[in-house]
Amino acid sequence: MKSLRSLGRIALFVVVGAFVLVPLAQTIITSLVSTLPRAGITEGHFSLVNYQNILHSPILKQSILNSIIYVVLNVALCLGVGLPAAYAFARYSFIGDRQLFFLLLVFRITPTVVLSLPIFVLFAQIGLENTPVGIALVHCVFNIPIAIWILEGFIASVPREFDETAFLDGHSLPGFFFRHLVPAIAPGIGVAAFFCFIFSWVEVVLARILTTTGGKPITMAINALFGFRTDFGLVMAMTVLALVPGMAMIYFVRNHLAQGFVIRT
Amino acid sequence: MKPYDNRAWFLVLPALVIMTFVGILPLVAVTNYSFQDLFSLNNPYWVGLDWYRNIVTSERFYASLLRSFLFAAIVLSIQLPLGIWIALLLQRSHRFIVSTVLVLITLPLVVPWNMIPVIWLNFINPNAGLAGRLLAWLGAGFDYKFNPLHTWIVLVVMDTWHWLGLVVVLAYAGISGISPAYYQAAAIDAASQWQVFRFIQLPKMKTVLSMAVLLRFMDSFMIYVEAFRINAGGPDSATAFLSLDLGEEIQAFNYGPSAARSMVYFLIVLTVAWTFKAATSTRAPVAMEPAK
Repeated sequence: MKSLRSLGRIALFVVVGAFVLVPLAQTIITSLVSTLPRAGITEGHFSLVNYQNILHSPILKQSILNSIIYVVLNVALCLGVGLPAAYAFARYSFIGDRQLFFLLLVFRITPTVVLSLPIFVLFAQIGLENTPVGIALVHCVFNIPIAIWILEGFIASVPREFDETAFLDGHSLPGFFFRHLVPAIAPGIGVAAFFCFIFSWVEVVLARILTTTGGKPITMAINALFGFRTDFGLVMAMTVLALVPGMAMIYFVRNHLAQGFVIRT
Repeated sequence: MKPYDNRAWFLVLPALVIMTFVGILPLVAVTNYSFQDLFSLNNPYWVGLDWYRNIVTSERFYASLLRSFLFAAIVLSIQLPLGIWIALLLQRSHRFIVSTVLVLITLPLVVPWNMIPVIWLNFINPNAGLAGRLLAWLGAGFDYKFNPLHTWIVLVVMDTWHWLGLVVVLAYAGISGISPAYYQAAAIDAASQWQVFRFIQLPKMKTVLSMAVLLRFMDSFMIYVEAFRINAGGPDSATAFLSLDLGEEIQAFNYGPSAARSMVYFLIVLTVAWTFKAATSTRAPVAMEPAK
């Protein structure tokens, strides 16, 4: 009876896994097929031509670089300002703390399309359009709340005596942060970085409106590939490449993924 | 109790400065635009509440609102039970299986949003796609372009593919935080599996699950990129959701009307967030304090 149950459970997991993987598998297969007539390759045959074409395209290579720049900047920014804020929320109560937390919640769930028009106007006025820096900044609107929530949960699970001992040992606040707190909540920082990374990496509405003429990230470079005669193999190859960093991130945080959300809202 | 110290504001300040710049300032700007006719940004003409009046008196707005609510309701009623169920099964599984399933199921979360519809259109393409060819071979008469029901099915299945992982991760986080002592007590009382779920697991998962409900509700209610690419709101506006209307106006650079629409949607978001807060704050004293 028990083994029958666990067999059923495994079967369900296999079904779920297949449901997730099959559409992705098709994407990977298409990325390995030449989908346009080319000299030397029969259309529909397997080849690495799409990946070679990416290597030969300065625009596509630049877009990969742009994506990496903005996402790294964004994660660094969110962790940098999120860590002290999360510490404040976890350890102190202060005037307006509840209201501030509510504000973060509101901005986290505000759809990006609602803010896209004024952000476009604002960023164009101060010259932050068409650059990865602009995207990195604007993605903070939903990522700073995420970073603060997750980090706050992790900091709150560290006993307060931990801080007090460090302060008694004569550590200043910054010294305590870097030498004691950061190592103590390293998994939490990993999970926060992971969620900031993926939400920033996959976002397209703000990324599109801010990069109409230049500084395009991968997502927008793929959009630009659609045209009269779309090279679907190339589109899929770029999509596969766009998945790689995210998959690597998932792998690194896999054992802490669930832990990151054992938090109080 | 946490000590009361207003110097904590200095720690929050950097985050607040950025949030002001990318969140509050744009919101002030959009409020301002929403009362004006802006043929160009240099020639504002005050129109007061005209744009708002146009929105709240148009039938199209209510039709979209209804469709968005319906979509969010369907999505939640599928993904939430399914996600909780998978998480419950995971809890009884070996560690290795847990991390494998979690890795797999979160994969779609890292797919750029504009590629999700591309992947799915490729997948259901009747000539080249695996699912498309299978459906054609079965003679299912599947036609997501002209059959509204089929478009809806594609959107719901695609959204479930995309977001189920988040619900599973959150639900699993909630379950794995439960101390074994509760299960031992339940075993002594000879509680059934359903009773364990109903009286131990579900209450303990409440906070994370309410988070899942909130995130999933807002994101499906305001689904934009994915839904637009699949069928551009069609066939015959059958999948024209709220955000599609807004997207259209922004693309046409109708500053005034789209600003007013943004404000209306923001007020909806605010209402949802406030309701959520009111609903969860009844247990705030427990929920807001560390478990220690």
